[in-house]
Amino acid sequence: MKISSARYLIHQGFKGIWKNRMMSFASFCIMLVSLLMVGMSVLMAINLNRIISGIEDKSEAVVQIKDGLSEAERDELEKQIKSINNVHTVEFYSKEKAWENMVKNMSKQQQDLFRYADDNPLPDTFKITVINIQDMNETTTLIETFENVESTKSPTKLTDVLVSLRRLLVILSGAIVIALIIVCLIIISNTTRASVFTRRKEINIMKYVGAKNSFIRIPFFIEGMIVGILAAGGALLLTKFAYEGVYNIFNDDFTLWTVLGVSNLYPFKDLFTKVAISYVATGALIGAVGTSFSTGKHLKV
Amino acid sequence: MVEFKDVSVTYSSGVDALNRVNLKINDGDFAFVVGPSGAGKSTLIKLILKEIDATSGEVTVNGFNLRKLKRRKVPALRRTIGVVFQDFRLIPTMTVYENVAFVLRVIDAPAKYIRSRVPYVINLVGLSKKAKSYPNELSGGEQQRVALARALVNDPQLIIADEPTGNIDPALSYEIVGLLKGINECGTTILMVTHEHELVRYFGGRIININSGNIAFDEVVGGTNEDQ
Repeated sequence: MKISSARYLIHQGFKGIWKNRMMSFASFCIMLVSLLMVGMSVLMAINLNRIISGIEDKSEAVVQIKDGLSEAERDELEKQIKSINNVHTVEFYSKEKAWENMVKNMSKQQQDLFRYADDNPLPDTFKITVINIQDMNETTTLIETFENVESTKSPTKLTDVLVSLRRLLVILSGAIVIALIIVCLIIISNTTRASVFTRRKEINIMKYVGAKNSFIRIPFFIEGMIVGILAAGGALLLTKFAYEGVYNIFNDDFTLWTVLGVSNLYPFKDLFTKVAISYVATGALIGAVGTSFSTGKHLKV
Repeated sequence: MVEFKDVSVTYSSGVDALNRVNLKINDGDFAFVVGPSGAGKSTLIKLILKEIDATSGEVTVNGFNLRKLKRRKVPALRRTIGVVFQDFRLIPTMTVYENVAFVLRVIDAPAKYIRSRVPYVINLVGLSKKAKSYPNELSGGEQQRVALARALVNDPQLIIADEPTGNIDPALSYEIVGLLKGINECGTTILMVTHEHELVRYFGGRIININSGNIAFDEVVGGTNEDQ
């Protein structure tokens, strides 16, 4: 294709937006709302995932070790536990410290009762965190086979809940995104179909004078892409304001996250590039593909 | 050149539009196609433009065998044909110049050629002063002349005029056919479909009469204008 023709086609794309400004505006609004919905769903999923990860990081397993081990034997066991691939951190928690903490958390009456106990019944333990919470059970089972281990305790129910929650989140957010993209494509395709319909005469003449399908499609394609990119820009701005609003509420006034001991939301500046690229790419793609669907019908002359 | 060999068309509704038609229009011919409504004239044009395919038989247009022609090659066929419609089919948002230049842009012609060719053709149809006007600012006759310029600009081998005088004043009809005759004298084959017998009688030439899907008459007759 000659440069002059390419320039003409791009110019026609821009001109088309202005000539069909009402339709272009309708496409712009629909795409903006759709992108906003998709974007917000993804951001919500990303942040929920981060919160779940935070909870996962804090779930520990307790390894109870045999009484009367020497320091050397204890160090050897610690090394053994650390050598397991799925083990993230290992922290020794002495029976004295455990006793101290237990007494500290008792009521005054209970404290008086236990003050005179001359023997500490609690065992020495290791507190471990794992890399992959799904494999927590396998890890603790393996640890139980070590010689100087008495028993292990892990929050299996919580682990199962978290694993299911994460799986559900992936399926749910994926389904929402796919559904929204399909809905968006159908709506855009119908909106542009109306716009293409008003120009069917033009397309018809183009076909009679020997225009190739690509020549007819390119201006519509460019038009759809530009509207998509503009909608992406608008959606990006709205997402920024909405997200930062939510982020500020949770960070300034709401202390639930700190109470729960889970991570905070991602700051928007950390997500900006990814969100911007996704919006622009999705907007341009939906705009271009949507218009291609609707021009197809009128090309069969 | 257009050649029909034993061409039949039966629509999905069961209507036989053409029955074993044999027809040859040589390069440089001027032929009127006449006949009542529903006789098969439009089917004939649709076949030449490969809007539809023949049910049986073979159609050859400007060296293209339409039976063997693939869909993606149809633009190449249509670039050898200029079409003038009864309802002009001009793009209302484009000026006269843009409507004519549009054809050359579609076929990826060089910008320099467009700049020289378009004013030349607009001048040929006598509309130089209206080059910047929009279709709604022109009379019916002027609009049909723009359509003619658009059909001509690509220097096609064949021009199909589908009732080009159907929507204009009778007086202007003679002017349009006169223009088509002039174009034909320069070597372009013209196939003009019309209902206006007066016009056919006046200009004369080859007359193809289609009736009920058959060629009822195909002869060269003298025009009354030659008697004057």
